[in-house]
Amino acid sequence: MIEVRGLTKTYGAVRAVDDLTFDVQPGKVTGFLGPNGAGKSTTMRMVLGLDRPTAGSALVGGRPFARLGEPLRAAGALLDAQAVHPGRSGRDHLRVAARSQGLPSRRVDEVIDQVGLGSAAKRRVKGYSLGMRQRLGIAGALLGDPAVLLFDEPMNGLDLDGVRWVRGLVRRLADEGRTVLLSSHLMSEMEQTADHLVIIGRGRLIADAPIAEVLRGRHAHAKVRVRTPALDDLAGALLRRGFRVHPTDGGELLVEGAPAETVGDVALEVGASVHRLAEEHSSLEEVYLDLTGDSVQYKVSAPDLVGARR
Amino acid sequence: MTAATAVRQPARSTEPGTTTVLSRAAGAEWVRLRTVRTTWWCLVAATVTIVGLGAIAAADDAEGTATAANPIVSTFAGEYGVLLGQFALLVLALLAVTSEYASGAIGPTLSWTPRRGVLLAARIAVPAIVVTVVGVALALTADVVALLIDPDLTLPVEDGAGSLARIAAVLAAGAVMAVGAGLLLRSTAGALATVFLLQLVLPFLFQSFGVQWLADLAEWLPGTGAVRLLLDEPMDMSLGHAAALVVGWAGLALAAGGWRLLRRDAG
Ligand SMILES: Nc1ncnc2c1ncn2[C@@H]1O[C@H](COP(=O)(O)OP(=O)(O)OP(=O)(O)O)[C@@H](O)[C@H]1O
Ligand SMILES: [Mg+2]
Repeated sequence: MIEVRGLTKTYGAVRAVDDLTFDVQPGKVTGFLGPNGAGKSTTMRMVLGLDRPTAGSALVGGRPFARLGEPLRAAGALLDAQAVHPGRSGRDHLRVAARSQGLPSRRVDEVIDQVGLGSAAKRRVKGYSLGMRQRLGIAGALLGDPAVLLFDEPMNGLDLDGVRWVRGLVRRLADEGRTVLLSSHLMSEMEQTADHLVIIGRGRLIADAPIAEVLRGRHAHAKVRVRTPALDDLAGALLRRGFRVHPTDGGELLVEGAPAETVGDVALEVGASVHRLAEEHSSLEEVYLDLTGDSVQYKVSAPDLVGARR
Repeated sequence: MTAATAVRQPARSTEPGTTTVLSRAAGAEWVRLRTVRTTWWCLVAATVTIVGLGAIAAADDAEGTATAANPIVSTFAGEYGVLLGQFALLVLALLAVTSEYASGAIGPTLSWTPRRGVLLAARIAVPAIVVTVVGVALALTADVVALLIDPDLTLPVEDGAGSLARIAAVLAAGAVMAVGAGLLLRSTAGALATVFLLQLVLPFLFQSFGVQWLADLAEWLPGTGAVRLLLDEPMDMSLGHAAALVVGWAGLALAAGGWRLLRRDAG
């Protein structure tokens, strides 16, 4: 369990993290979302005691991480896959970690197998691809068999196989009862993996809720997709009742703001036969964009977009 | 990790004692040091310089001063060798620290040893011990090689031990200063420049101008103390003064570097 209380970090005039309070529960994958510069990495660094909070505190398993004598047994982290001495082999990197915790070097070989680094572990990190570095970082995080795991964009640079592997790994770690905090910008990936979401923007908390709730919340717009030969009749009737209706390329209607029952009833009233009726939830991507729209700091400006289109 | 348990037990409540944590951190530092090639290159450079320079000095001497009737103690070989060879060893100690800031590896390091006082102790002790032990061993080798080159030299135990003790003091203090500078500046270039200036360039430069106040200033630099301890120059500086100088600078660098490691963000 991770407890974040009033956590604040300022860099000069920049409030990178602004009075954040949330818990990360065991047994779940908690997705940590926010636009670039929202403060996700900074928050994780403060949880691990790497950066000193300007105010507030963070506890890992009920204790400040910076006081732990065997920290890898409490929490394992992959914050920056590039942050490895390039001249050391992957295996030696892990041997240093094992030595610092009093873990046997047998454990090093176990995690190397677990992440599929194989014989590359004997080579110097200098020659690793980003994906191999991610695997090495994950191996380091797993080394101490910790109760808490923090992963900052672990899927960056992984191939499809690697992404599926991380997804499965993260799921399994949570199912084993561990606490997993996972940041990523891949919304579809989050939607598949996370049980709970903590969303921040400009250092502030925007949402802290189970993913199902976020997807059905105020910012989610349930839509109903309906197929009928009497397209115009049904669209007219729905518009008169104040629902927003969009015709789709496939000759169907997309109705916003009405549950499926209402759409069916209206169709019956106007005598339109219904060939298909389906409720569609908004994707995490849509809800996320809506939630964070105001706190995106690094927007692509309009001229750039025009330039890109040309 | 086969059977899924509902909720895992929190981390074991039995925390290891500080001695255990420190010895593990030191062990990790030791593995860190010997698993990068830079360390071995520095050791090769130190060996070549210290033993090589010592041998050259002895060969030079074989043509002149010492005679069977009036033998000279061979410790000058190791002392001249260390005068220059110390820099290979100081680079070793310094790079052990600054390379972690260049690569960002200080992040993982601190997440494995988050108790920064413990990390500081290990990070100072391991390179300082390695540098001192290696340097003393190489100086002794140089002294012995010098004996073989020039049979007119001698190496009484007393003189040898005294010489090695002074060399050990110079190297231990130098290594601590290098690590401290690395921790404070966090940049390889900056810390290297600082150490070279203080230990080598400025002391010689200031004394060579023939300007009194510059020469006086040189009396306050660690390099002057090191030369005094190694070569007995300048002759008017006492051994105690020289020792205080190198230890004082090491302490200063340690305090400043330690402050940055203990009190500031990881980097
Ligand atoms: N060492 C630092 N010095 C100054 N500003 C910093 C520092 N570290 C982070 N920041 C600032 O803090 C803010 C939060 O950065 P952070 O890296 O935590 O964001 P993030 O949510 O991880 O973004 P991303 O999705 O791009 O990884 C940014 O505005 C960043 O510029
Ligand atoms: Mg980040």
